[in-house]
Amino acid sequence: MAIKLLKAGPFSSIQDLGRLDYLSFGVPKAGAMDTLSVRIANEALRNAAQAAVIELTYAQAEIEILSDMLLAYAGQGAVLANGKIPLPANRPLALVKGTRLKLIPDGMGCRTYLATTGGWDVPIAMGSRSTYLQAKIGGINGRLLQNGDILCATAWTTEHQSFFTQLQQSNRSFPLWYIGSGRNLTTPDIPVIRVVRGPEADWFSTESWHKFLSSAFEVDRNSNRMGYILEGHDIQRINKAELLSTAVLPGTIQIPGNGRPVLLMADCQTTGGYPRIAQVAAIDLPLCGQLKPGDQIYFQEISTKEAEVLYLDEQYYFQKIRRAIDLRYYTK
Amino acid sequence: MDALPLNANDLFGYYALGEKAVTIVFGDRIDPAIPPKIRFVENLLKHAPFPGLLTTVAAYTTLCIQYDPFVLKSAYDIGAQSTAEWIFDHISILMQQQPSQTEFMTDVLSIPVCYGGEYGPDLEHVAAHTGLSASEIIKRHTSTTYLIYMMGFLPGFPYLGGLDPSLATPRKTTPQQKVPAGSVGIAGAQTGIYPLESPGGWQLIGRTPLPLFDPEQASPILLRSGQEIRFEAMDHSHFDAYRQDCYGNKTS
Repeated sequence: MAIKLLKAGPFSSIQDLGRLDYLSFGVPKAGAMDTLSVRIANEALRNAAQAAVIELTYAQAEIEILSDMLLAYAGQGAVLANGKIPLPANRPLALVKGTRLKLIPDGMGCRTYLATTGGWDVPIAMGSRSTYLQAKIGGINGRLLQNGDILCATAWTTEHQSFFTQLQQSNRSFPLWYIGSGRNLTTPDIPVIRVVRGPEADWFSTESWHKFLSSAFEVDRNSNRMGYILEGHDIQRINKAELLSTAVLPGTIQIPGNGRPVLLMADCQTTGGYPRIAQVAAIDLPLCGQLKPGDQIYFQEISTKEAEVLYLDEQYYFQKIRRAIDLRYYTK
Repeated sequence: MDALPLNANDLFGYYALGEKAVTIVFGDRIDPAIPPKIRFVENLLKHAPFPGLLTTVAAYTTLCIQYDPFVLKSAYDIGAQSTAEWIFDHISILMQQQPSQTEFMTDVLSIPVCYGGEYGPDLEHVAAHTGLSASEIIKRHTSTTYLIYMMGFLPGFPYLGGLDPSLATPRKTTPQQKVPAGSVGIAGAQTGIYPLESPGGWQLIGRTPLPLFDPEQASPILLRSGQEIRFEAMDHSHFDAYRQDCYGNKTS
């Protein structure tokens, strides 16, 4: 069960949910930028949460299917097409040997995740398959994917085979069910990202805090998987104390000396010394992973408690989804 | 901010960092007594993880604990408590049950360094800035024991305390594009070692052949916070042989 990347496209890499074991040693988490899409693609194939996926940026990749197999994709900004026929996202796809797939640009967002049965087969490096370029670890030899790379599925069980056959016999290569993401990026409105107050939020004046919550911020072009520099309104500190370097996470929003907020993302350093004005709620962090330079966002404050309830609800939702999908795989 | 005064032992308080992380605070200033305590609590959690514990991040005076509230709340009914509060209480109880000990502090680790020349191109600059001779700088740099307060900035990069203040030299105005792995540098009142090649603005006074970051090893990172190290001057002619020994016959 394998594919060949005829065109890898820019910044394509193998990712999973990240590397958690070495944060205290300064090794960044890395992992997928849009973890919700990873989860959807993996759940569609009943994979483990940590199964490795391919993160494709923008819509330039082209793929050849080298053997009959199951794939699933999820994300924003592109649809996967078989020739000119678009294939639906968020569900399993039974693809036959020789099929050629390509990404076609579609709407807002810039990252698409491609999953296969059991995840893509690359070695575990320091507890994760996530590619982290600076330390050259994870994925294929710690590098970005290249044209001509061949990637294999880790698993192909009798269940996978019978589900594949079932889809083939239905004259469709996919089921009618799919996993809803609850995300609506099709409107031209500026997305609103929910945040909770950060530990140093009171280092800023009330006026600055309100400006932070009422200004539209644009993702600067010097933004990458480490973080986004946000242009819109410079936030000035009133407390000029020196912060001792302490833990930061993907979703932490720091305010450096120039007042321009930095939203930390997957490849961010493990610690930082700039005041943390806010933390993006876990429910909205995956959406941030779809932003590209030039995109705009607003921030909205919620309480830690509210953020937790939103997170818990999402987990209950996926619990239900998992049961529903189990039934569909087993029922003939 | 929901920081609380504390009841137990050495814990100062805690604060939430979003809904999936709580940071335990051990003090409000750099203090050599703190890193071993942080490491102690980190080890406690590692050996007796609570349901939902994802990982920990140690820093100068804080230990950030990342967790999955869904797993925690599925395992325990924590009532009206916030998850952050529950975790803080849990750690306080764990600490009371454990006799406080620092038994894991091993011997001071010696790091061989080739000072000056091609390995330490900025040694002359540091000499000019400090008014000390190169040999005096080496003498002072090798005569202190350094405590690793925390790791960060790069995989395997130690933040060291203990630099002789007379060696303090400002960092470069323009960072260098490629600092080789193993480079030992000075930036302001700090000294440190680059575990892998990266851009950087520190004044490079030497280089160690010892691999600080090697993902192929079972323990990929040589150093960790709470540990003590010393630098030891090494003859330049031994650099390659030493490096060969460390990496074996690996072709990397």
